[in-house]
Amino acid sequence: MIKSLEVGKVFNMNRPNQFIALNGISVEIPAQRLTVLKGPSGSGKTTLLSILGCMARPTSGRVMLKEEEITSLPERFLAEIRRQTYGFIFQQFNLIRGITAIENIMLPAYPTGEKRTVLKKRAAGLLEIFGLENKAEASIEWLSGGETQRVAIARALMNDPAIIIADEPTAHLDTKLSQEFMDIMQKLKAEGRTLIIASHDPVVYGSAFVDKVIEMRDGAITDSGAKA
Amino acid sequence: MRKSDLFLVCTSVQILLLGFVFAHASYTRDAAAPKFLEKAAMVKHLELTDLCLFTDARYTRHPSMADMQSPFQDAPMSFEHFPSGSLMSPPPHLGKHETN
Amino acid sequence: MKQIEAQRNILDFTLSSLFRRKGKNTALVLVYTLIVFLLASVMFFTHAIRNEAALTLKDAPEMVVQKLMAGRQDLMPLEYLEKIRAVRGVSSVKGRLWGYYFDPYFGVNYTLMVPGNEQIKPGTIVTGEGISKNRAVEQGDFQAFRAYNNNTLLFQITRVLSSESALLTSDLILMSEQDFRSIFGMPRTHVTDIVLTVKNPRELGTIANKIVQLLPDTRPIMRDEILRTYDSVFNWRGGLLIVILSVSVFCFVIFAWDKASGLGAEERREIGILKAIGWETSDIILMKFWEGVVVSLSAFLLGILLAYAHIFFFSSLLFGPVMKGWSVLYPEFRLVPFIDAYQISTLFFLTVLPYTVATIIPSWRAATIDPDLIMRS
Repeated sequence: MIKSLEVGKVFNMNRPNQFIALNGISVEIPAQRLTVLKGPSGSGKTTLLSILGCMARPTSGRVMLKEEEITSLPERFLAEIRRQTYGFIFQQFNLIRGITAIENIMLPAYPTGEKRTVLKKRAAGLLEIFGLENKAEASIEWLSGGETQRVAIARALMNDPAIIIADEPTAHLDTKLSQEFMDIMQKLKAEGRTLIIASHDPVVYGSAFVDKVIEMRDGAITDSGAKA
Repeated sequence: MRKSDLFLVCTSVQILLLGFVFAHASYTRDAAAPKFLEKAAMVKHLELTDLCLFTDARYTRHPSMADMQSPFQDAPMSFEHFPSGSLMSPPPHLGKHETN
Repeated sequence: MKQIEAQRNILDFTLSSLFRRKGKNTALVLVYTLIVFLLASVMFFTHAIRNEAALTLKDAPEMVVQKLMAGRQDLMPLEYLEKIRAVRGVSSVKGRLWGYYFDPYFGVNYTLMVPGNEQIKPGTIVTGEGISKNRAVEQGDFQAFRAYNNNTLLFQITRVLSSESALLTSDLILMSEQDFRSIFGMPRTHVTDIVLTVKNPRELGTIANKIVQLLPDTRPIMRDEILRTYDSVFNWRGGLLIVILSVSVFCFVIFAWDKASGLGAEERREIGILKAIGWETSDIILMKFWEGVVVSLSAFLLGILLAYAHIFFFSSLLFGPVMKGWSVLYPEFRLVPFIDAYQISTLFFLTVLPYTVATIIPSWRAATIDPDLIMRS
């Protein structure tokens, strides 16, 4: 599904504070499987995740999405790929404060120019799946931690993406909510979506339905393999 | 009702009102045309030279007849007679004949 | 179709986003509206006055000749009148009698005038509407005037000039020549100034020059000079107007610039989120464009409408105290609305455009930031 070839990323190139975040990473993310990027903070997993998710460009190397090279595409196309192919779940969930849950969920679909009634129906459907139908008009800051998490997942699913990317999704959650999150991920995998999660939480990488764990340290892969 | 529609409706109403304002102005102007003729006739009859805008100073009551050396010429920021003296600028012909 | 729907979606989000800071944004729109309202009021008012002057004063005397002495307007001796009559091209010459009378009891200045084309019976006067209102007198009532020698003269009002002509005649008192001279003690050998007509209007300038050469202590004022006085009388340099307006406009520019251009950390984060979830740079700019349009267009339209109502329905209520100044007698007039698309578009370019641009430019910079910024923070 996604392949990276010798991908490197250098921040602040040629400056005194130059920092090599990734050092020639080649990985393959299988389609319709759950892959976990595991490693301590600063290991480069978030950087790799943003490169695989078309949010950042690598300094060197190439990224292939469905056999198509995306590294050299202009920003406009990358935005379109992000919108159509990816759903993102961020560490802090990164919902927009002050606006309603349903509008947050609809946001990724706004530029597509679909009719609002259609969008609203779809977003309401997602809210229903996650048991949030009575929170639709609630402002984000009034939601509990678990509700916020589910709204964030619903937003990632708004454009029905093939790939879901999550960055440390359980970092701010207790064990019960983390488990709940993984249950949802399992369902999404069963729906045939490709999942990539960066995490150093054992609840995540130790989960029974993780297909592949890529271990990283200091911008390099230390161990990569299918989980038993 | 979605918010964008609300905005578009409000804006359309305002633009409509703006259109009404133009219509009102044009209608009032047409309706006032005979009155303007009457007033012009009165100006001719009484040999008037100025509008009665300010009555507080000679040079603001009849600006076009103002003295050459009246303090009014210190405008634009003349506060000699406040505020009317500072609201008006001196007539352009003041001072012109001096150079002739 | 999809394009329009996308625009509406983005506008929806812009409005939701603006509603979050309801108090602040409402205050912004209100201050903005007030600025447009003031600018538009001044513009409508001066434009209407100018048109009023152009339409009513088009038949003002072709030329007025004043005598000057020591820098002041002086009485015009009748022999000057004869000399001017002899100038070639002059068809008629008439002396005008007019002056100012200060009423110490009411503290009001009147313009006393002897109409050249109308005989007024001695002992009677015709008054402007402002005077009759100010003194609460009507047709048939008697009015006392104190003459130069402390004599008190009594006059009966035979007519009050119409309120429609208030902008011309509000402070006017018309009387007979005999009464005029006895109030001011003006000698029979002099008049206030001279009005004249010429045979060929195109020779007006030549004749004016001839008069100045013949009588160097006179000053001719021509009709188009009278008209031009009102063309420029309330121009944008008008002292007080520019002081008030420039102060408020500058305050607003600072306020708006700070509001529109200062992208806070929170706003940068939001733009990052939107980019990450698939908004293009152009969508972000579009959102900011709508933000500028919503605020400035609403304020612009509201301000214009309020200004129109203010000037033409409520007789420039707010300008009253400024315009009246110290004069007790202030003409009450309702202006005839002269507005045109040029005025409106000038205001539009002065208000809506700069604000919208000030909103877009900083976001254009922010929108080009890599979307992975939010992942790293």
